[in-house]
Amino acid sequence: MPTKLIKCFLAGSCILALTACAPKSYVVLLESPDGTTGQVIVKGQKGEQVISTARHAVPADGSAPPVAVDLVKLEKDFGDAMAARPKLPAHFLLYFESGGIKLTKESLALLAKILEDANTRPAPDISVIGHTDTAGNDKTNEALSLKRAKAVAEMLKEKGLKARELTVESHGERNQLVKTPDNTQEPRNRRVEVSVR
Amino acid sequence: MRHILAFVLILFSAFSVWADDAVIAYVKTVTGEASVTTAGKQVKAEVGTPVMLGSKLKTGPKSSMGVTFKDETMMSLGADSELTVDEYLYAPAQGKLKMGSKLGKGSLNYVSGVIAKLKPDAVTIATPSGSIGVRGTQFLVKVEE
Repeated sequence: MPTKLIKCFLAGSCILALTACAPKSYVVLLESPDGTTGQVIVKGQKGEQVISTARHAVPADGSAPPVAVDLVKLEKDFGDAMAARPKLPAHFLLYFESGGIKLTKESLALLAKILEDANTRPAPDISVIGHTDTAGNDKTNEALSLKRAKAVAEMLKEKGLKARELTVESHGERNQLVKTPDNTQEPRNRRVEVSVR
Repeated sequence: MRHILAFVLILFSAFSVWADDAVIAYVKTVTGEASVTTAGKQVKAEVGTPVMLGSKLKTGPKSSMGVTFKDETMMSLGADSELTVDEYLYAPAQGKLKMGSKLGKGSLNYVSGVIAKLKPDAVTIATPSGSIGVRGTQFLVKVEE
């Protein structure tokens, strides 16, 4: 028998093992929505398994190593759960002129996009998180990032945002996008993050 | 200064009415019969129904439901499923991150969010025969007796 055929046969029987005498409870790894593939670790009553390849499965009790699952079976067992997956959340970054709550021109224009996105979602819930750069002292920055986040929330409401929930948070200079030493002007850190879910 | 203070207070009270800290997720999709039970009280799941710590999500035959958590974790259930959210802590500024859920029966599609990204060890999904740890990814689980 040519090697190629043997390989085919072996791969086929692996898939079959899960289709015919398949474990009733099992875990399948998929690619993440961003295209990368992570790992799942299954710790069960009968062993521990790690799945690192997408569309491979192990029994939920950890009793056997990963094998490929065929797409027909995936669709049959998980079609409804996959179809019920909510829309992926969206993120927007808004930037400010130094020291105050004035948005840059580009960021001001982005507000309309945030509204547009929120309007496509059922019951959108939204977080507005303020950040500053490290220029000035911590306390002032904490207050400034809160002021920025509140200003953005107000602007969104004025533009007619209808949200199931809108929360405002302030992270001050603690959560930098670009790592800088203290007392550094960095436009990319003067931002408000809007997460639309 | 007093004006500013008054304004900030008004803003603050408006937001605290609007925001509810106890809510950890919202129902975003529903088909058929689904429910959310919190502290012994069962409500029919609809788009916008809040999920709290300890809530039990249930779907009936030919039904499904999808929820999105605050940290952007998404979980969706197929037919005849039961999921309980036992642990949930999302305060990234304080480094407090935890998520623990249990799929009692049925099927689940899980997509990891910020908690799994910042602290992979903090996420566990339990099943009747074991537990699943997550390293930043999407997976499916089926539980059948």
